[in-house]
Amino acid sequence: MATTAVIDTVSQRRPARLPIPQTVRGRYRTIKTAIAWALLAFYFITPWLRWDRGPSLPDQAVLFDLPGRRLFVLGLEFWPQDLPIAVGALVLGAFALFGATALAGRVWCGFTCPQTVWTDLFFTVERFCERLFGKGTLLSRIAKPIAQIALAVLTAFGFAAFFNDAPSLPSALVTGAAPLGAYLAIGILSLTTWLFAAYAKERICLHMCPWPRFQAALLDKDSLVVTYQRWRGEPRGKKKAALRLELNDLTALIREAASFEAGRGDCIDCMRCVNVCPTGVDIRDGLQMGCIGCGLCVDACNEVMAKIERPAGLIRFDVEGSDRAGSLKQEAVRLLRPKTLLYAMLCLFAFGSMAVGITRMESVLLDVEPQRNPPFVQLSDGSVRNDFSFRLAHRLPHLDRVVIRAEGLAGASLRFATGETGQETVALAMPGNRRISDRLFITAAPGQAPSGRASIRVIVTDAESGATLGEVETYFWGPAR
Amino acid sequence: MSKQERDPLTGQLTTGHEWDGIKELRTPIPNWWLITFVVTWVFAIGYLVLYPSFATTKDYARGLLGWSSTKELAEATGRARDQQSAWRTQLLATPLEKIEANEELRRFAMAGGQAAFNENCAGCHGVGAGGQIGQFPSLIDDDWLWGGKVTDIHATIRHGIRDGGDETRLSAMPAFGEILKPEEIAATADFVLSLSDRSRDATRASLPGAALYETNCAACHGAKGEGSRDGGAPRLDDAIWLYGSSREAVIRQVADPKMGQMPAWQSRLDEATIRMLTVYVHTLGGGEK
Repeated sequence: MATTAVIDTVSQRRPARLPIPQTVRGRYRTIKTAIAWALLAFYFITPWLRWDRGPSLPDQAVLFDLPGRRLFVLGLEFWPQDLPIAVGALVLGAFALFGATALAGRVWCGFTCPQTVWTDLFFTVERFCERLFGKGTLLSRIAKPIAQIALAVLTAFGFAAFFNDAPSLPSALVTGAAPLGAYLAIGILSLTTWLFAAYAKERICLHMCPWPRFQAALLDKDSLVVTYQRWRGEPRGKKKAALRLELNDLTALIREAASFEAGRGDCIDCMRCVNVCPTGVDIRDGLQMGCIGCGLCVDACNEVMAKIERPAGLIRFDVEGSDRAGSLKQEAVRLLRPKTLLYAMLCLFAFGSMAVGITRMESVLLDVEPQRNPPFVQLSDGSVRNDFSFRLAHRLPHLDRVVIRAEGLAGASLRFATGETGQETVALAMPGNRRISDRLFITAAPGQAPSGRASIRVIVTDAESGATLGEVETYFWGPAR
Repeated sequence: MSKQERDPLTGQLTTGHEWDGIKELRTPIPNWWLITFVVTWVFAIGYLVLYPSFATTKDYARGLLGWSSTKELAEATGRARDQQSAWRTQLLATPLEKIEANEELRRFAMAGGQAAFNENCAGCHGVGAGGQIGQFPSLIDDDWLWGGKVTDIHATIRHGIRDGGDETRLSAMPAFGEILKPEEIAATADFVLSLSDRSRDATRASLPGAALYETNCAACHGAKGEGSRDGGAPRLDDAIWLYGSSREAVIRQVADPKMGQMPAWQSRLDEATIRMLTVYVHTLGGGEK
């Protein structure tokens, strides 16, 4: 029988992380907690902030008004045609992310990614349940899923609150008056939140997320990553407490001396770094895809180093390759590098374009479209009428009434199918929803209609201030003579 | 030859087959895959039995549920009609003149009216209701052969024009080709053409056709060509000429008049739809108060 070479993929697999990672205190834990609170507060509180926009508009500071196809952000109102500004925001976000990664490694993954923040939150809640009811008890086994589901539903509600009037949403949901989309969104997001943060947790980072996959392309030798200082850590060994002096005999001392001479490193293989890791990686294996760069193992190791009275920083944020350098101190980060400068410039450019885009947003949308079937209507007194579909929407703070006139056609009279009738001008009251669509009839007096096509301009002005809100160049058709 | 044994290196069972000393580890497909496979079969058989699935020689297997897409469509349209029933009831209960004042009812009527118009009326009057000169009248101008109030439009749609019913719009013009001489017809046509020319108001009476018009036409079309909507006599003093405004076209119309026909829609459409059509046509631009 021939021998077979087997690549054993099974034993290379990491042991699964603890069901709930251990807690740790320290610098990075504090930063992580502070950022998580800030982000959670932003997510849950933002929909409840109010912003007065006058009587006919919603007073929610940030509101995605899907039925009205508009987005309110504080004093700004966005329409679908402002989408390029969103592109600017996305480009800005992408380059900020690249820049942050070039500087400080996977800080996005470690501190701000929703998956990280919510997983951390769920870990905290699960730990709390275990502390309250005892580990593995029936009560904690009941309490944990309840807490998880409650958190998931709360998260989904927080999302739906961005799309609906937040204060009235809870009662609307209970009475069945909320839009179907709200129920769907809450249902789907509850499920995915539970699935991602309660069930899958770090598996999302390890198996699903594309972001860790292109880390290699974004990190360079100057980026900060979590490093294990191999030069002082290896070989690992158990820390032995020194025997009490009167118990010491020569052989023990020699044995101890010999063991030190054999060269134990600073790592005492206590596994704290692995046990606190939210993704369960062993950072001592070196930089790896599973490491989200949150620095909790740094805190854990520093804690242990303090206890065994060795210098901190066996695991620390440092540049890749520093584990061979043999320095106790972290190298100074080179902030100004061609790469970071380029990212900074691109961010600035994206931000600038966005700012320019926002200042140049059109406040009035005017659309006057000729109805070409038939191109003109012969009226009995010899005058000729053209029909237009007229659409006007605005996002001005105040506009009650507009006046519409047509230029380029002598003796034109204007009329709306359902609105008012005028001679040279026609006035139109703007309703509360700030948009109107109607059929606009423009009539040329007998003998004044052009032969064939003539250019006209339809001009809309504010009835109060007389300011021109918009004008559209279009055509007026008359019978060929 | 076929003896299952445990592979010493991996600890897995082998399939028991051996070829030249090479053995194969037993790696069965995962259970979830197998179960999914079985489930697809169960689903397929269930579908085959419950739903229409295959053709027989003369018919097709109808399935135990008796589902059919035609039935589903009928149910869907039935549901849609039920949803509209409140609006339709309101449409029937509201007096014709008041429908347009009710913003929501007007929108409903115009939406339904447009659909019904495109389906039933656009064939002659055009999608934009502009009509066609020489054939079908425009419905968006301000000239109405039989009246442009909602009640007039409603009656015209219901009973049609020259469609034989008791209440149909009925008028007939004699063919003057058999009554008058060709030169008399030409003179009459010249006079008719002058009626819409305001600059000839003073001189018109001296035209040779004036007396002929007075004798033959004025009874229906009026002394000044103002027409009569009650009798269905078109106005002759306006700029709108259904059958053409050239001298030839007018001569032809006097000698051997075309008279259009429109079917009565009361037997083809329900009253609510006719009311929707009425409102739609009335708001196209020429409706009269």
